[in-house]
Amino acid sequence: MSRSSKRLYDVVDSAAGHMLRASVIERLAIATASIALALLIGVGIVAAAGYDPVAFLTSLVEGAIGGQSAIARTLRFSTLFILTGVAVAVAFRAGVFNIGVQGQFVVGGFATIMSIIRTAPLLPEGVVGGVGLLLVGFAAGACAGGVYGAFPGALKAYADANVIITTIMLNFIATGVVGWLVQNPFRGEGNTAPNTERIPEYVSLPRIVFDSPGFSIVGLGIALATVAVIFVVMERSRFGYDMVTSGHQQSAATYSGVGAKRTIVLTMTLSGMVAGVAGAVFAIMIQGYYTDPSGIGTYGFDAIAVSLLAANNPLGIVPAGLLFGGLDSAGSHIGIYTDVPVQLIDGVIGLVILFVSVPELFRMAAQRTGLGGESR
Amino acid sequence: MEGITKRFGDVVANDDVDFSLEKGSIHALLGENGSGKTTLMSVLYGLYEKNAGTIHVDGEPRAFGSPRDAMDAGIGMIHQHFQLVETMTVLQNVVLGHEPTDNGLVDMSAARNDIEDICSRYQFGVDQFLDTKVQELDLGARQRVEIVKSLYRGADILILDEPTAVLTPQEIAELLDVMAELANAGHSLIFITHKLGEALDAADEITVLRDGEAIGTVDSGETSESELARMMVGREVQFDRPPRDAPRGDPVLDAEQLHVRGSRGLEQVSGVDVTVREGEILGIAGVQGNGQTELVEALTGLRDIDAGSVQFSGEDITDTNRRQRIDAGIAYIPENRTTEGLVQEYTLVRNALLGNQTVEPFVDNGMIDWAAVQRHAEEIIREYDVQPPNEDAEAKSLSGGNQQKFIVGREIEHAPDVMIASHPTRGVDIGSIEFIHDRLLELREAGMGIVVVSSKLDEIQKLADRIAVMYEGEFMATVEPTETTEEELGMLMTGHGPDDASGGVKS
Amino acid sequence: MSVTDYTDRNELRIAGVVAILAAVVVAAMVMDLQVLEIITAGFIERSLQAATPIALTAIGGLYAEKSGVFNIGVEGFMIFGAATAATMMWVISGGSPGQGDVWLAILASALVSLVFATIFAVLLIRYEADQIVAGLALWFIGLGFGPFMAILVWDSRNSPSLESVNDLTVPVLSDVPVVGQIFFDTSPLVLFTAVLAVAAWKFLNDTRYGYWIQAAGENPEALDTAGISVTRVRYAAVIFSGVMAGLGGAVLLAQAGSFTGTGDTMVSGRGWIGIVAYLFGNYNPLGAAVAALVFGGLDMLQIQLQTAGISVPNRLVNLFPYAGVIVVLTVWGTTRTPSAVGESYESEE
Repeated sequence: MSRSSKRLYDVVDSAAGHMLRASVIERLAIATASIALALLIGVGIVAAAGYDPVAFLTSLVEGAIGGQSAIARTLRFSTLFILTGVAVAVAFRAGVFNIGVQGQFVVGGFATIMSIIRTAPLLPEGVVGGVGLLLVGFAAGACAGGVYGAFPGALKAYADANVIITTIMLNFIATGVVGWLVQNPFRGEGNTAPNTERIPEYVSLPRIVFDSPGFSIVGLGIALATVAVIFVVMERSRFGYDMVTSGHQQSAATYSGVGAKRTIVLTMTLSGMVAGVAGAVFAIMIQGYYTDPSGIGTYGFDAIAVSLLAANNPLGIVPAGLLFGGLDSAGSHIGIYTDVPVQLIDGVIGLVILFVSVPELFRMAAQRTGLGGESR
Repeated sequence: MEGITKRFGDVVANDDVDFSLEKGSIHALLGENGSGKTTLMSVLYGLYEKNAGTIHVDGEPRAFGSPRDAMDAGIGMIHQHFQLVETMTVLQNVVLGHEPTDNGLVDMSAARNDIEDICSRYQFGVDQFLDTKVQELDLGARQRVEIVKSLYRGADILILDEPTAVLTPQEIAELLDVMAELANAGHSLIFITHKLGEALDAADEITVLRDGEAIGTVDSGETSESELARMMVGREVQFDRPPRDAPRGDPVLDAEQLHVRGSRGLEQVSGVDVTVREGEILGIAGVQGNGQTELVEALTGLRDIDAGSVQFSGEDITDTNRRQRIDAGIAYIPENRTTEGLVQEYTLVRNALLGNQTVEPFVDNGMIDWAAVQRHAEEIIREYDVQPPNEDAEAKSLSGGNQQKFIVGREIEHAPDVMIASHPTRGVDIGSIEFIHDRLLELREAGMGIVVVSSKLDEIQKLADRIAVMYEGEFMATVEPTETTEEELGMLMTGHGPDDASGGVKS
Repeated sequence: MSVTDYTDRNELRIAGVVAILAAVVVAAMVMDLQVLEIITAGFIERSLQAATPIALTAIGGLYAEKSGVFNIGVEGFMIFGAATAATMMWVISGGSPGQGDVWLAILASALVSLVFATIFAVLLIRYEADQIVAGLALWFIGLGFGPFMAILVWDSRNSPSLESVNDLTVPVLSDVPVVGQIFFDTSPLVLFTAVLAVAAWKFLNDTRYGYWIQAAGENPEALDTAGISVTRVRYAAVIFSGVMAGLGGAVLLAQAGSFTGTGDTMVSGRGWIGIVAYLFGNYNPLGAAVAALVFGGLDMLQIQLQTAGISVPNRLVNLFPYAGVIVVLTVWGTTRTPSAVGESYESEE
């Protein structure tokens, strides 16, 4: 076995080991049970409100995986959930409660669009310029998200300001300020809606495999690559070890020479950068311009549930992200093709998140019913 | 209490223990850490449910399902970790759960009268603090608040769980007075401790626990320290000092005029000079809480130094951080293995990397070679006889002694120039103690400079070439172990000047 | 704890509030504004009204956190409270609500909140839910099901115009200039909230239950060994916080007179501001109420400025409280969070 393939084997091996230790089966069971319970309540409400529950469930499945466009839509949402989920996982694994992924996502996306618009005149049009601008956009998104994440990290490290609170506040501030910016100084010329200008046509992710608006398999590829990179960083790099050790047991990390303050700031920066990349994918792949962030969805919040569902393990984020993508996609479908209000799906997703946050509920239920007897 | 048995899973914490307390007396419950003292009392206090046995109070059979039941039966417990709400006042803490009310509001003046009554009856000196928040009190005062709290709740029987562990010698003396006073007034006290001397001083009767079993009950007037010690450990502890040559190496670690503040911002180390030579073990003795922790953290780079300097092999390292000092060659066996030395939820493999994050071949260019780390873990387990020999076991599944052996092995294999060992054998079984001592002595022979901090005098006397005694942030004296008796060390540890001790050698 | 005690210990905070107010005044003078044109009795009255839902929510959230449970679901409870109150008002009155229906709707909304809060408390305490995630989830559930209720009733996310609470005019006293208009010719909900804030403060500091709540959040073991059930204390506090937030939402609706379910709904972050308000008030109900008033004033200020002919981007002005919190947390050190917040407690019995 060559050295590199041995390394690869090690990675896969330790990944498998890790997944097993986090008791994948239990996770899966909890995820399934959460969704089933949330859907059950949802269906109950649908029936009580006088809609047809069977049609509701059918269109739910149809909306998630019924046909190519549904699948493309599911993957589109999943891409964002995977990226934002990884952003959350990075921070949570290190014991830093970054609730601010939504804000970092918004700031990153806005920076992406603005940097592309401002740089476009300097570069040639066409493929070369397009690729160049993509790189500029992603770099700007990652940087802006990173800085916006580093800020509360630094406040925590050097002024002991509670990260949960400051990041929640920074979410509101990001939404408000970007919302004002796109409405006023950066509103595209002649736009009636509060939107920036569009980025040039040639700056886009190629539509291969799926020819569907707002989704490119390249976007999903970026998400999966990010998962792989973060996984390697967490499992194989010294920085990752320092981070995860800090998350597990701060005093042991300090003992081993890890600077607590520095680690918090770096963790938040990395988390924010991933969120910024998510924002860039959203801005380039889906929108092509930036709009009032109060209406773009709560990816950064849902990501907390995605990460939690995956036990903050980067590899687990992929299935968890797909699942949330499917739910969101089904929601869009139901909103368009049935008379059931789309708000119901929002509520059901909320319920899923709620149940995911209570693993103990299912453990106790399992014990009582005698199912999965060994799952503690 | 008769035939008390308490199991936690497969572990038997109390095995068929009998214990009886005479009214108006002090009964010490003596045993090493983990011998089941606290468990036994928690059963009595209703915190744990017993698996077998009976409890009689004043001849009545009783069963306590909760502390409330125990309290109602007149039993009060003063826990090792004080059960006080720091942000509330002393008065509020004392009445918590038993507040007198008047029109729905807490009747402060009634409470105040009752508490002042109790205080004046026993001369506690707590009444002056009634409106002070607990967080502003020192530990001795907090303990008195705890006692007042129990008395306020009408306790006749008081259980004190290791009450002296966190106190200064003066505070201990005061506490023992208070206890005697309470016993005279007709209260009955159970005094949990692992310190022989205190048990002999304070108690009327002493029951010794070992490995969850009651070894025997003796009258304090008819026993001796050595008899108690034998009962506690099962055999005479022999800490023979191995013969050795005097160290002749150069100073390798040299700190001058160190001033260090503790976590609460108070100065805990006030102008200490430390010199360690190659091939020498410097012992630092003292009662816990006299600045040893802060001193060690200052030397290892875990705590900022206010003033003074630290030299390592002639280089100034005062401003370097922990990682830089690890890289320079200062290894550290930490005071607390469960919170610092090991990540409890990591396997031993992952723990083998702790502190070695910058060491090749384990880490190269920022990337970890887990295969190398795994080999390293296996090696430590083999060389240092860690049981069970399974590198994939989580640290928390190991016994204290084996955890400690793993840490000692990891730090030694780091091949440092200086080893700082803080309470290296605390809570460790006897076999492991001897093993760890032998390793440290081997390192000394190999020319390493070693600092051992311990509150066990016999350990210090066995290992050290010189003993520095620390008291209230300063070195009282540095003495030769062969020329100093335990009594003299004890005097120094309680702040009696070096003049009282013979053979004082200033380094 | 007396008021002077409080002021002594919170000098910086109070100084901060005063400094903000002074800054506003100075800015106004620099910009050559007629301060009196802006700070009118009507403005104060409106500020107080805007502050009531925030203050109610803040007092509830404060109790929960004091007891050791961080209820960040209050925004969700407010949305439910507002939506329930609106739909109840419509259903009770059969489509043409009057004053009595408003009060019935508030009551009904509080009762429904009680049910939800109890379920939520069970999840948090009995089943040890992750408090942050569960709280966020509740917000999403509110954002979904709140407007959903409106759609079921009115086929639209917004309700038609309903009834709002009438001012309570106290004869004679209301004729006193300025003070009369602010206190004796205003919504009775304002007075109710003021009384409640004082009562909540007294309760927390001078009753046994107040002691227990504080102990449950600071050192649950101390409370447990004193023979008081930590779990029960926390249940009570969390349920109270949910009901108060629901009430806050209902009051918001009763003042507005119609339900808005678009965007972040009519609650629009007021629950979060409530959390901010009690942090600002350092977990003191009175401090929280004052902070709520400051935020209510900021909310009303832009309307005031507009009438005075000054246009300020209200989107940005709305962010003041959020930025304020970050400054408070950073510059004035940490707000001292009760030490056991977020940890579930299991008695060893």
